[in-house]
Amino acid sequence: MLADYWLAALAQSEEEAIEAHLFSCDECGRRLREVIALAGGVRQLARQGDLLMVVSDAFVKRVAAEGLRVREYAPPRGGDVQCTVSAEDDFLIGRLGADLTAATRVDLCICDRRGVEQFRLPDIPFGPASGSVVFQQPINYAKAASSDTMVARLVSIDEAGRERPLGEYTFIHTRTMPGPGAS
Amino acid sequence: MDVEQNQAELEDAELVRRIGTGSGREAEAELFRRMAPRVRLYGLRHLRDEAAAEDLAQQVLIATLESLRAGRLREAEKLASFMLGTCRMMVLDWRRGAQRKQRLLEQFGADMLAPAPIAMPSLDQAQLARCVQTLKERERAVVVMTFYDEQTAADVAQFLGVSEPNVRVIRHRAIHQLRACMGVEA
Repeated sequence: MLADYWLAALAQSEEEAIEAHLFSCDECGRRLREVIALAGGVRQLARQGDLLMVVSDAFVKRVAAEGLRVREYAPPRGGDVQCTVSAEDDFLIGRLGADLTAATRVDLCICDRRGVEQFRLPDIPFGPASGSVVFQQPINYAKAASSDTMVARLVSIDEAGRERPLGEYTFIHTRTMPGPGAS
Repeated sequence: MDVEQNQAELEDAELVRRIGTGSGREAEAELFRRMAPRVRLYGLRHLRDEAAAEDLAQQVLIATLESLRAGRLREAEKLASFMLGTCRMMVLDWRRGAQRKQRLLEQFGADMLAPAPIAMPSLDQAQLARCVQTLKERERAVVVMTFYDEQTAADVAQFLGVSEPNVRVIRHRAIHQLRACMGVEA
């Protein structure tokens, strides 16, 4: 409820009731300050571009609108793309086109150059009609990484737990930044 | 209404009485100590700016003091309601571009106590990053879209392909988990 209040997502009558309560309850005020601090911390984290997560197009537009520099790669399904990052980049985005219309659950698997799965993001958010999954790679990890190849694999999972590949996308990363790890 | 709230109202009423009789510099200080954090939270919520919230707190407290000194608050136990109403009016005034602050400051500012700054909880950002990364994918998306992008539940619901109430449930669960992970009382 306090999060909804902070987000201005309450009906006017609910908002007025909460405000009246907050003017007589310092314990709830303390809890609201925690929510505000948490919101600020998450906002700061998100702006740092260091989360590994699936994001929305609105998110990508928002960071670009804030003047942050977004580097985006969209390898074709079954294909590859040459990629790099520079010191000036703030966000690294991968866009994976796929037919998601029949999927109920989709996992994003991050694999090594041989296609061996290293880890996965299970049950990612996706729009069935969107035709793509957009994900953010931690930018500072990418800046520190040496030249290497990464394969992203999208799989759909049916109700029986069976996997069906939706697409593989190869990112051929060439390190262009100096420093430790540069060849 | 519980005993604690009754007690607070009695204390509020006593503050009002002392300030009204002109015998309460300490009572004025207590008014500031007690009410400034509440007004500032209101200001943060509606003005989305810490400096503006501080300004609002100062402005509302000055206006309240002006009223109490003049004995204009008839029901002393309604201090909190009176101040909330003052907050609402001043934010409206603020938005209309009205500037009472300077006049009030000139009239009362010389001997005013400044509202004490209100400490916001400090967060260990590295720990928060670890905690956010432990959330499920949908929870993480909801939290980031909500707090970074300030998207409505309807927008988030559309992105996730779930209902708005479901988004609120996911968000509630995620906040609860983050607070627990951060060592904040859940």
